[in-house]
Amino acid sequence: MTKLTAESRRHLRTQAIKSFLRRFLGHNGAWLGLLALAFFLVLAAMPGALVGPLQTAITATGDFLIPPSTQHLLGTDEIGRDVLNLIVHGARTSLTIALVSTVISLIVGITVGMTSGYYGGRIDAWLMRTTDFFFVIPSFVLALVITPVVLEVIGRGGDILGFRPSLFVIILVIGSTSWAFVARIVRSQTLSLRERQFVERARVVGTNDLNIMVHHLLPLLVPQVAANGALVVANAIYTETALSFLGLGDPLQPSWGTLLSLAERAGAASSGAWWYFGAPGLCVLIVSLGFVLVGNALDDTFNPRRRAIP
Amino acid sequence: MKNPCQQAKAPILAVEGLAVDYRLRGSSLPTIRDVSFEIQAGEAVALVGESGSGKTTTAMAIAGLLPPNAAVSGGEVRYRGDRLPIDDDAAMRPHRWSEISVVFQGAMNALNPVHRIIKQIAEPCQLQLGMSRDEAIARARELLELVGISAERGRAYPHELSGGMRQRVMIAMALACSPSIVIGDEPTTALDVITQAQILKLLTALRSQLNLALILITHDLSVVAECCDRVMIMYAGRLVEDGSVADIFANPKHPYTKLLIESIPNPEHGKRMVRPIPGDPPTLQHRPSGCAFRSRCPSAMPVCATEVPNLKRWEQGRVACYLHPPMKHEEKALANA
Amino acid sequence: MAGSLQGGRTSRRIGHVTFRAILTLFMVAILNFLLFRVIPGDPADMLLAGARNSVSAEQIESQRKSWGLDRPLIPDQLLNYLSTTFQGDLGYSFKFSGRRVADLILERLPATIALVGVAQVIAILCGVMLGIYAGWRRGGAIDHVVSGTSLALYSTPPFWLGMVLVLVFSTALGWLPGYGSYSPSAATADLPDWLGDRARHLVLPVLAIALGLIGQYVVVARAAMSDVVTEDYMVTARAKGLTSGQMLMRHAFRNALLPVVTLVTLNLGYIVSGAITVESVFAWPGIGSLTVEAVNGRDYPVLQGVFLLLGLSIVVANLVTDLAYGILDPRVR
Ligand SMILES: Nc1ncnc2c1ncn2[C@@H]1O[C@H](COP(=O)(O)OP(=O)(O)O)[C@@H](O)[C@H]1O
Ligand SMILES: [Mg+2]
Repeated sequence: MTKLTAESRRHLRTQAIKSFLRRFLGHNGAWLGLLALAFFLVLAAMPGALVGPLQTAITATGDFLIPPSTQHLLGTDEIGRDVLNLIVHGARTSLTIALVSTVISLIVGITVGMTSGYYGGRIDAWLMRTTDFFFVIPSFVLALVITPVVLEVIGRGGDILGFRPSLFVIILVIGSTSWAFVARIVRSQTLSLRERQFVERARVVGTNDLNIMVHHLLPLLVPQVAANGALVVANAIYTETALSFLGLGDPLQPSWGTLLSLAERAGAASSGAWWYFGAPGLCVLIVSLGFVLVGNALDDTFNPRRRAIP
Repeated sequence: MKNPCQQAKAPILAVEGLAVDYRLRGSSLPTIRDVSFEIQAGEAVALVGESGSGKTTTAMAIAGLLPPNAAVSGGEVRYRGDRLPIDDDAAMRPHRWSEISVVFQGAMNALNPVHRIIKQIAEPCQLQLGMSRDEAIARARELLELVGISAERGRAYPHELSGGMRQRVMIAMALACSPSIVIGDEPTTALDVITQAQILKLLTALRSQLNLALILITHDLSVVAECCDRVMIMYAGRLVEDGSVADIFANPKHPYTKLLIESIPNPEHGKRMVRPIPGDPPTLQHRPSGCAFRSRCPSAMPVCATEVPNLKRWEQGRVACYLHPPMKHEEKALANA
Repeated sequence: MAGSLQGGRTSRRIGHVTFRAILTLFMVAILNFLLFRVIPGDPADMLLAGARNSVSAEQIESQRKSWGLDRPLIPDQLLNYLSTTFQGDLGYSFKFSGRRVADLILERLPATIALVGVAQVIAILCGVMLGIYAGWRRGGAIDHVVSGTSLALYSTPPFWLGMVLVLVFSTALGWLPGYGSYSPSAATADLPDWLGDRARHLVLPVLAIALGLIGQYVVVARAAMSDVVTEDYMVTARAKGLTSGQMLMRHAFRNALLPVVTLVTLNLGYIVSGAITVESVFAWPGIGSLTVEAVNGRDYPVLQGVFLLLGLSIVVANLVTDLAYGILDPRVR
């Protein structure tokens, strides 16, 4: 086993990837999910090319709250902006927030979980106590109280690392409060992997801990992390939408949640302007359903349960 | 054994031409084929074969317990001469547990983790025999004592018992409705050697005490010698040999049986390495033509590749191999043509 | 002997669970304290800003003293904060000038409890039943419809569902009110009318929260049941001659319930965010609307009070489900 040539190792890997893809794509849900996600990723990648620059009150192209027509496929909002334009630009904001905050929470979760499981003992006890806190108190509740305070501290003007402050804060807060779930899974995986022979062998040879974790353990954690990562994204989208709906989003760079919040304030539901709040809500539904479906399919592929009928 | 005349006449259980298929992703996989045997009242028969050979499937088919993706595609099972509706869940219900009961392999998983064991033992008495709650509990307490557990332990949950104790509980449960046949599906596989011996001893004692017919499923031929009268050897879903324990051990006829017996570790010969049978059994998806064992068989002949050997009477038992009876020269030529 | 051992283990577990709950609550309080101090400006100004207009100078001074704002942050102020908080003193609202946060919260609490309570009960009854049935008959037509719908509901923001419900049942059809918790005209009516009016106002917001929750419960209960039906003890039950109804009720149900109980705790974030946003859609006069007002008006004392309340309810809910799990599953007792 240890004397595998690079050639045969590559062969093994392609073989594994092929068999993974075959099983993964065997799920109808995976196809549906991937299709939906691909569609919205395209929207998010080039909103400008698709619908022109983001409209503002000044550059608005239509009348107030007119229903869908050939000119405005999804109608207009209460200040005459084209809803389709807002949605496509919103895709970029919403997906950016969801994906970046997921990356943050995966990094934190993997680091905490792996350190905890690998070292055990007192480090484990303390890290897990912290994790418990973040596990018990929902990300939304923490974000709800932390976001306004942090925004107050740093102000809403200017930009940070290329993000507008409110987006930056939302990303950071969601990312740093939703990692506990990942940390728990990674820890339990690490605990069982730690006992395996190859880790022992690496340690005997004198490989340092960081090296063992990054090169020996991390690759084996990928399946679990990927399956749960998709669910973390769905959750991040949900949290972001709810926070923005409560008015914590950035009105100058509206996400879908912010659009829903604007629609709610404009009384869209009680005045029958279904196009105004219908479209962003459906987008949230489809994207988070997409991630849930992909996550379920990944989970099923990696941990096939012994079911008599699949 | 006690009454050979009666034995020959009225088997308590008769299986004839049993065939079972599993449906897997749209295709139907033949798993059990042409399994026929009879069991007399009070007789202990072992069903032996490698893991995956279809022992559990055979047992589940006989007890009418096949999973939803399995189907009986041929043959029948008769209990005291009457056909059992093994493929009809509702019709099978009155026969369950009061005629045939099962001791499952992993007692940890076969017992419900959230109920006290006494309740699980009493349950079939209430439902099948129509006892009142108190009667059923009293019966369950008796049964616990019978298998060597004090009745007070009945309040325990499965996870509070040791593996051996749980298996005893399974046995007590299997006896609840006084069945005539008990199927033990590898009842001792998960246990350590000492507990294994105790459980087998208990089963043997109970069998003679209650005049039970026992079908003992195992992949371990060494278990068989002490507690069974007869052995049936299964390979890739078919019976390949059937004979009395004495016969099989002294004079195995099928090449597979021979190899199985040779692979039993023998303490008298010192620590000789156990020699596993070379090669792998065929998978469900790729069942070869002819005899399924021929790729591993030291004495395979050309005829083995074309024609499945039937299980035929030979000497005291039955065997499915072209070596028995030895073919005459002209027959061989004919078969090979 | 065995009994007392068992009893010892159980009480140890309860002790452990309670200790963890208290620890979490303590951390919530500390976070609350620290967050508060991070906001620019003198904490005393911040804390008393809301009260300033309507509270006399002596009152401010005495409050300042009772909070110990002249002493060092840690440990004096922290300890002081903890002890005053523990006594139910949460400070004064900025926005509702001079009103005590604790009073504001207590005033709004009943409406929220009614909303969330009714929604939760409906969701648990419908969701768990449907999910367990779908898992029991998995692969069938009903299963496909139920689990497809649930996945969609599970991915839908409840407040959006609320907006859709208002559009359809209030704006378009005019069947049910889509705003507030009662009609002013019915406020003085006699009891049956009064009750009917309240109930009619409850329907849509409850539906908005409950539908999303049903989606979650169905998904989890179905998965749990699909796992249970493949368990060996189900084969044992079948072998013993139980009918399929008996197998479901006696052996499958309780085992399938276990993951659902765990879900309830995992799910609290969803319930909280659902309740808060849905209340905002329906102008429901509960904690949710209070929160939204606090967030928009930068009314930090109220926000902190709400956070404490949410933390407390979440910790208590966790405690209750932990103990319930212990009752359902003898393995963890
Ligand atoms: N539920 C099932 N679905 C599909 N195939 C199965 C199922 N159960 C068993 N099999 C297959 O049937 C064959 C016989 O299995 P089994 O009867 O369990 O063998 P044994 O008990 O001798 O180990 C094996 O190849 C196994 O993979
Ligand atoms: Mg088996």
